[in-house]
Amino acid sequence: MNITVFYVGSSLLAPLKQAEREIEQRYALGLRVTAYNFGAALDERAWMDVERDLAAAEIVFIIHVTDGENAARLLPLLARYETRQRTVVVFNCMPELMRRTRMGRLRFGRELAHEAEQATNEKTNGAHASRARRLVGRIGAWMGESARRGAGNHAQYLRYVERMPALLRFVPSAGRLRDLKHYLYLFCYFLQPTPANIRAMLLYALKHYAAEEKITRARIECAPPETMPIVGIYHPDAPALFQSFAAYRKWHDRRARAQSLDALAPERTIGLLLLRPQIVSGARAAYDGLIRAIEAEGLNVLPAISTFMDNREACAQFFIEEDQRSGRKSGASKAMGEAGNARESFNDDALPKRQMKARVSQVVSLTGFSFVGGPAMNDSTAAVEFLSELNVPFRSAVSLDVQTIEAWRESWTGLNPVQAGMQIAIPEIDGATEPFVYGGMSEQTTAPVPLVDRCRRIARRLKRWHRLQTAPRADLRLALVAFCFPPNKGNIGTAADLDVFPSIYAALERLRAEGYTVELPASADELRARLLGGNSDQFAATTHVAHRMTVDEYRRLCPYVSEIEAEWGAAPGAINSFGGTLLIQGLQLGNVFVGVQPTFGYEGDPMRLLMARSGAPHHGFAALYTFIKKVFCVDAVVHVGTHGALEFMPGKQVGLSAQCWPDRLIGELPHVYLYSVNNPSEGTIARRRSYAELISYLTPPVADAGLYRDLAALKELLLAYRQTTDERERALLYESIIAQGDALHLDTGQVGI
Amino acid sequence: MKRAEPRSHTKRSTRHLNDPAHNLQIDSAERDRRVLDLYEQLLEIEQRLIPTGLHVFGRAAGADDCADLLYMIASFDRPEAGVRALPDLVAEGLSLGSYEVLSAESRQSDARLRAREYVEMLAREAITRLLRDGADEAAAWLEQAAHVERAESRPVFVLLERVRTQLRRNQELDQFVRALRGEYIEPGPGADLVQNPSVLPTGRNTHAVNPYNVPSDSAYRRAEPLVKQLLARHHAEHGRFPAAMALVLWGLDNIKTQGEGVAQALWLLGVRPVRDRMNRVTDVEPIPLEQLQRPRIDVVLTVSGIFRDLFGATMNLLDRAVRAVAQLNEPPELNYVRRNISAQMTEARCTFDEAALRVFSNAPGNYGTNVNFMVLDSQWEHDGALADLFITRKCFAYGRGRDGVTLEGREARASLGRALAVVEATYQNIDSFEIGITDVDHYFEYLGGISKAVEQRAQTRPAIYLSDALAREAKVRTLDETIRLETRTKTLNPKWYEGMLRHGFRGVAEIESHVTNTFGWSATTGAVDDWVYDEVARTFVFDEAMLERLSQLNPHSARTLVGRLLEAEGRGFWTTDESLIARLREILNELEDQIEGVA
Repeated sequence: MNITVFYVGSSLLAPLKQAEREIEQRYALGLRVTAYNFGAALDERAWMDVERDLAAAEIVFIIHVTDGENAARLLPLLARYETRQRTVVVFNCMPELMRRTRMGRLRFGRELAHEAEQATNEKTNGAHASRARRLVGRIGAWMGESARRGAGNHAQYLRYVERMPALLRFVPSAGRLRDLKHYLYLFCYFLQPTPANIRAMLLYALKHYAAEEKITRARIECAPPETMPIVGIYHPDAPALFQSFAAYRKWHDRRARAQSLDALAPERTIGLLLLRPQIVSGARAAYDGLIRAIEAEGLNVLPAISTFMDNREACAQFFIEEDQRSGRKSGASKAMGEAGNARESFNDDALPKRQMKARVSQVVSLTGFSFVGGPAMNDSTAAVEFLSELNVPFRSAVSLDVQTIEAWRESWTGLNPVQAGMQIAIPEIDGATEPFVYGGMSEQTTAPVPLVDRCRRIARRLKRWHRLQTAPRADLRLALVAFCFPPNKGNIGTAADLDVFPSIYAALERLRAEGYTVELPASADELRARLLGGNSDQFAATTHVAHRMTVDEYRRLCPYVSEIEAEWGAAPGAINSFGGTLLIQGLQLGNVFVGVQPTFGYEGDPMRLLMARSGAPHHGFAALYTFIKKVFCVDAVVHVGTHGALEFMPGKQVGLSAQCWPDRLIGELPHVYLYSVNNPSEGTIARRRSYAELISYLTPPVADAGLYRDLAALKELLLAYRQTTDERERALLYESIIAQGDALHLDTGQVGI
Repeated sequence: MKRAEPRSHTKRSTRHLNDPAHNLQIDSAERDRRVLDLYEQLLEIEQRLIPTGLHVFGRAAGADDCADLLYMIASFDRPEAGVRALPDLVAEGLSLGSYEVLSAESRQSDARLRAREYVEMLAREAITRLLRDGADEAAAWLEQAAHVERAESRPVFVLLERVRTQLRRNQELDQFVRALRGEYIEPGPGADLVQNPSVLPTGRNTHAVNPYNVPSDSAYRRAEPLVKQLLARHHAEHGRFPAAMALVLWGLDNIKTQGEGVAQALWLLGVRPVRDRMNRVTDVEPIPLEQLQRPRIDVVLTVSGIFRDLFGATMNLLDRAVRAVAQLNEPPELNYVRRNISAQMTEARCTFDEAALRVFSNAPGNYGTNVNFMVLDSQWEHDGALADLFITRKCFAYGRGRDGVTLEGREARASLGRALAVVEATYQNIDSFEIGITDVDHYFEYLGGISKAVEQRAQTRPAIYLSDALAREAKVRTLDETIRLETRTKTLNPKWYEGMLRHGFRGVAEIESHVTNTFGWSATTGAVDDWVYDEVARTFVFDEAMLERLSQLNPHSARTLVGRLLEAEGRGFWTTDESLIARLREILNELEDQIEGVA
């Protein structure tokens, strides 16, 4: 017996494999289940396997497949093996695939709608049976309709799940509705993909559609679908899901007391948004890994199961105090009822209204999709409205579901284009920051596992942000880092469209007013004079030297020295060094360090310029960030102006690993980047590769260029020419015009005559 | 420092100054035509929007001097906001027909030019009134003056008023401290203010776009006339279509325009994007030749490392498009992609997969051509070095091979070299008022770099084009024209450099950087006229008062500027009097002494 399953995601493989094993143990049918993740386009080798398995399969399941390319290749294969498989079951796919459903007499599309309607109208005995028929008929008609027009909405199906199995009992197992009934039964199993339900789904399909003798002999028993709550709170240590925040808190705090841990408190609670199928199917290891990493930092978690299409529901239910949910105009209350309406395109909200009392201080979405809308669309206006009111940092971390951890490790790309597009670019439009990979499918496992070092990094970054949120401002330490390219004194403060010194000065003034400990120079000019002058000549440096890092200190504090030496030779090297020490260029102003980032280090080094790949930042570059993190010990780093070199250091494109240089340089530091609003592309690199939160700045004032000097004089001549009708005068003016135009190197049309 | 190789083309020379008879031979109609043509050239300079300073973080823009900006914002149709272009409304109100047609005809007819100037004058006056009296008054006045119904003009004025209000309020510092407090920072689009006024308010977390929505329907629509214009211009000047074009694709413009650059490549190939059931652009289909009415142009796409990162799916789409076109059974004279690929397969005895590579970028995890670093740091001795560097950095192929395996940047030096050897034109989009070809070093490193690489591989300098999406009707210009326009409107324009100098230290660095980037164009393309350097020297160095200011405000950048001029002469980019060079050398020495003294 062979069953082949095409699916998308990471939650199905484990229960399928488990079901295969258990069914074999109990019934010994010789069952073989093969499964393919259609989340990304398959390569040729995989397609050969697909074809081999399709040729052998009695039953085929196709689930959640919406990718045009894979579907386009699957469709002709299905047609080729049509005679071989009597049964093809398709759930939640694009219409072309939905129409391939073949179970007994069941065909999707127009006929289904028609047939279902007929059946609904048939006279039956008993109110239950009649209601059941009507309901099944309605669902059937609706599915037929979606098979013709477009994929249905997952959330809509979920509403039927709980009562459908009960009603389906009243539908006769013979007659017009027989196959539709079976389809819906299978669908109910699939919608609650617990290991037991997935096993039952396969058994049910075998029982009714693999009409071989050994099936009949086996006397297969299928338990009715078990149900799980639609939303809830999950914790790996808890015996069951929690239906309410109160229940979770009770359990959490009892456990906390037992283990001498902190009780749940909003200011240190991280709200996590989890996908339901992973929880239901037991594919939770990656979630558990991240949860434990966060708790290891002394933070609390509030892991809520989200409904996939609209995270507002779970957030509103679990992340916000109940008495705060009733405001009539709040986005949260809207989420409880109707979806947010599209607003006018020019949003004038200067600062968001802050009226919710949140139970969380940061939110990390692990759903991998847009906040509102799911995989197929995104309503970012509604998402931003809701998140603005919640007003806590929003992050979206990614699980490697359509590529393996091994492939990701090997790859320079990091996340493949499918994940980068759907799970990075779209959540960014909702305001998600710090796109980390936290786990994924391994070649060795059937369910996602955590990436331990990534989970720890996420957790520690959350902890750093927690400190920014809660520590007294006077204690917080910051680094403001400007650029200088090409490196010479004249270029300190390089930034597109920005006058950097007055900008840094404005930021310092504001920081002091906010209570940070800032030693403020008298003016922006003085700030510049102190930075450019100071002891710079003493060390032949571009700016004042705030710290001379000995090679010993550098080796002790920077874990990457030997890797850098392989590329740049022995520390301290030739760049940003003097007398055997590394120079940290900048000024200390109270708790604020104003520094200057070194460049890539190509200057005066043509051989390095000629390399197609570079391997590491130079010692001076690494030393600056070592100083910031481990000597000056800042709580956050702010880069000033578009743009620097850190985010362009070698490493993966997106979904960085601990081997990637931007990840190493920024480390655990919260990163705020003042960035030109006119440069979304390089800004996005900073967001993705250095976990920056951009604060956009306005482009400079603009005006018409106007005319000046001889250009203005020429226009006068031209106007005079246009105004006069006197031929002689025009001839004279023309001569002056041409002479003037030529003198100005304008095109006077004299060429080629 | 050694001299560069002689350039393979001739620069535009100053003509006819010694020929007083040259204008006697033409009739008055021809004379009128030339006058209007010159007038148009002046208008192009005069009406071009330029930055007049720098931004200071957190500082609100001056509300009074935004009239030109508002006029430019009002010059575009914005269907998404229900707003029509103000000059169109005025022209139609005055029964003068479409403003676009009027503008085109004003190049040939003085009467039409007068009508156009009248329309522009009324539109500007309406904005003056808006700034003084508000939207209702402005709409009322325009109804009287130009018979524009208030219902039509009000949306424009409301939009402009909103822009002005938002410019007056600046929340960047508020948002900065909110971010440091760990609050939610709202996302916002990233673009030029004229292009997309919803970049206001600033102080938000700028985001990119969904790559699966690229190119958007409107980007694809807008790309068609531009590609037509580009090909028509090339055909008019060279007598045929380019056998292949090298396109530079950046994330910068493709994010802001939702993929107009991508769409232009698709149009050149003669294909249209196809969306899947999730509304994602994942495929292309060929436009039949009967419909296309021209050959399919081969394209070599050198994409920035940033584009590669942000538009992974799009690179696969472009690769797919090239392969699809190469496999169409069409006559070679109408399908240059097929023709070039089969020629390459024969000549180089390579496979189809090798010959069909057209999407190139950096090695994975690396960015940039380094051509800018080499130029800024004066580290090259002959032209070939810049061309080789470009190819070394950019010869990594992307897309998907025939076996369906994704190419994650496979080094393919020979394939890129072969593809470039048949290129006859290079091209890039400019999309922004603030970021022009002399504002940053990235334009010359990319468009200059690829042009130099083509020059080396094809043994002839390609035609170099830029599209300019800054005006209402996108316009194709040659590089030479664009450099002249940039030089006149920015570098040499007192309005620009005085604006920069108001920022003191940083302003001098900006001026120097424009001169250096201009020098970068000389280094990569030789497209800079002698007069540009003459005028730079005259404006910033030989004007004693100016030199004094520069050296007081930022002696380091003043020194770099003078040094760069001398380097331009030394490398043969600039021919001028020996006496001027001697003077420049003296000035350089004086500046160096001053810096030593300052230190």
